[in-house]
Amino acid sequence: MEQALAVDVQHVVKQFGEVTAVADVSLQVAPGTVYGVLGPNGAGKTTLLRMMFGLIRPDAGTVRLFGRSWADDGPRMLDGVGGFIESPRFYPYLSGRKNLEGLARLDGGVDGDRIDDVLRTVDLADRQRDKVGGYSFGMRQRLGVAASLLRAPELLVLDEPSNGLDPAGIRDMRALIGRLAGEGLTVLLSSHDLHEVEETCDKVTIMRTGSVLYHGSIAELRERAPSSGHRFVTSDDDRAREVAATLPGLRIARSEEGDLLAYGRQDEIDAYVAALVAAGVHLRSLEPDRAPLETLFFLLTEGDAAPEVPA
Amino acid sequence: MNHTPTRRPGIAAVMSFETRKLLAQKRTPITLVVAAVIPIIIAIVMNGQARPPKDTLFGRFIHDSGWSMPLLLLGFAGQWLLPLLTSIVAGDIFASEDQHGSWKTILTRSTSRTQLFVGKTFVALGFALVAYVILATSTIVASVVLIGHQPLVGLNGQVIASHDAARLVIESWASVAAPLLGFTCLAIALSVLTRNVAVGIAAPVALGLVMQLVGALGGVELIRPLLLTTPLEAWHGLFADPAFSGPLVVGLVVSAVWCIVSITIAFVVFRRRDYLG
Repeated sequence: MEQALAVDVQHVVKQFGEVTAVADVSLQVAPGTVYGVLGPNGAGKTTLLRMMFGLIRPDAGTVRLFGRSWADDGPRMLDGVGGFIESPRFYPYLSGRKNLEGLARLDGGVDGDRIDDVLRTVDLADRQRDKVGGYSFGMRQRLGVAASLLRAPELLVLDEPSNGLDPAGIRDMRALIGRLAGEGLTVLLSSHDLHEVEETCDKVTIMRTGSVLYHGSIAELRERAPSSGHRFVTSDDDRAREVAATLPGLRIARSEEGDLLAYGRQDEIDAYVAALVAAGVHLRSLEPDRAPLETLFFLLTEGDAAPEVPA
Repeated sequence: MNHTPTRRPGIAAVMSFETRKLLAQKRTPITLVVAAVIPIIIAIVMNGQARPPKDTLFGRFIHDSGWSMPLLLLGFAGQWLLPLLTSIVAGDIFASEDQHGSWKTILTRSTSRTQLFVGKTFVALGFALVAYVILATSTIVASVVLIGHQPLVGLNGQVIASHDAARLVIESWASVAAPLLGFTCLAIALSVLTRNVAVGIAAPVALGLVMQLVGALGGVELIRPLLLTTPLEAWHGLFADPAFSGPLVVGLVVSAVWCIVSITIAFVVFRRRDYLG
């Protein structure tokens, strides 16, 4: 028998009044994949995840996890699914352990050893008796992961797991996700951070204002990425723009800081540098503006009209 | 890795977790201690006063019979103490999840919304009943211990033997259980609808005071029996001569209607709501 998709979202729509938060989104995640949902704030990522967890109902379309849906299976749909939406929340007047014990009850109960295991996995065993009200943000994020792991999930859904963490916390969280993925879990990671998704995921869906702009592997996305912009600081920017206008294929823009940004193939950038020298324009600084993948991400998710990127 | 839970959680799991949450918050035991201690203090203070509160129901007889004090305090408690006592948990039990942002934590476990709603409602009703039983027991016991169990003078001047007075006092306190549960359900509904702890706790008390005010106005005879505060006074008929129990029956029905309507509204809203916070 063919194994059911871990996540199968078909033509889902969700509106809040006049605002379309999610517009006809479809998404499939195969078991064993580490999948990223990437997009800026307001892209509809969290709304999509809320629909997966049954916190909100789609206006149209279907959401199935391991072949189960809310309509057919109710809360059984979440069997084998763990995760959290935005920052995980707990009862501040209970200890970390008491919170987990209570949540375990709502799952039908787990033995104490399982709670010990997950607390060790997220490095909270030493602080398990402390009240959650005294936990740092990072500790609460890790407790959220522990609460998700209590159910021994096959699918882990994490929404912005590194949000609000300091650099060390981000490193630890990514290492933890990597470790869990290495154990064979399917991970669905929602993030606005390209580097996080690039570092962690095999495949990605990029969203913007409720719509899907790209589905595919990170490797394919890298191949589609344009050459990045180059940031120029010159002795005479006006003259530098005039020189650029003589070179076909080269595009010039101005950065928010006022520097010149040149876009083109590497040979065109080389030719531009030579032309500036020939024109007597002194080059004070030249550096790549963004990594190619980052450039593509911003091209996709910013501006008035997102370009079409075929999947 | 087998991920499917072997046991499905039931309403008992929700009640167990909710009870632990309640006990972990200081206000829960404090409320129960206050319910036990305050009647004793009031009984001691009032018993020590030379001049009894003659303008209140049974107030003039508090030095003559230990059965008067529980009735005096019942009349006083019905004004705002009982609605407050029930709202402390009922008004908070749903709205506090909004306050903590924890709906997304518990709604993504294996329990259904129906199980969560029923479990929380049972715990709120259970707490209200426990607090009420403690208050009633403490009041009656303290009064009888301090003053004695002499015969009681009824509302028409008739003398009620001590054992009959004891039965009637217990029945009187028992009769307010129904409106008390009505206020509990009202607090639950307000907690669900407003998602605000302060409103969930304070609004039933305020509504109770408004209903008492409306009930005291002239020309509202049709409305008065429908108010949730009216059953709080239905026990008066037990001490008339001859006694009558019609208001108790009406009060029972009215309280049941308040319970059913409040819980139905709360349940429908809770089941259908999108949880965004």
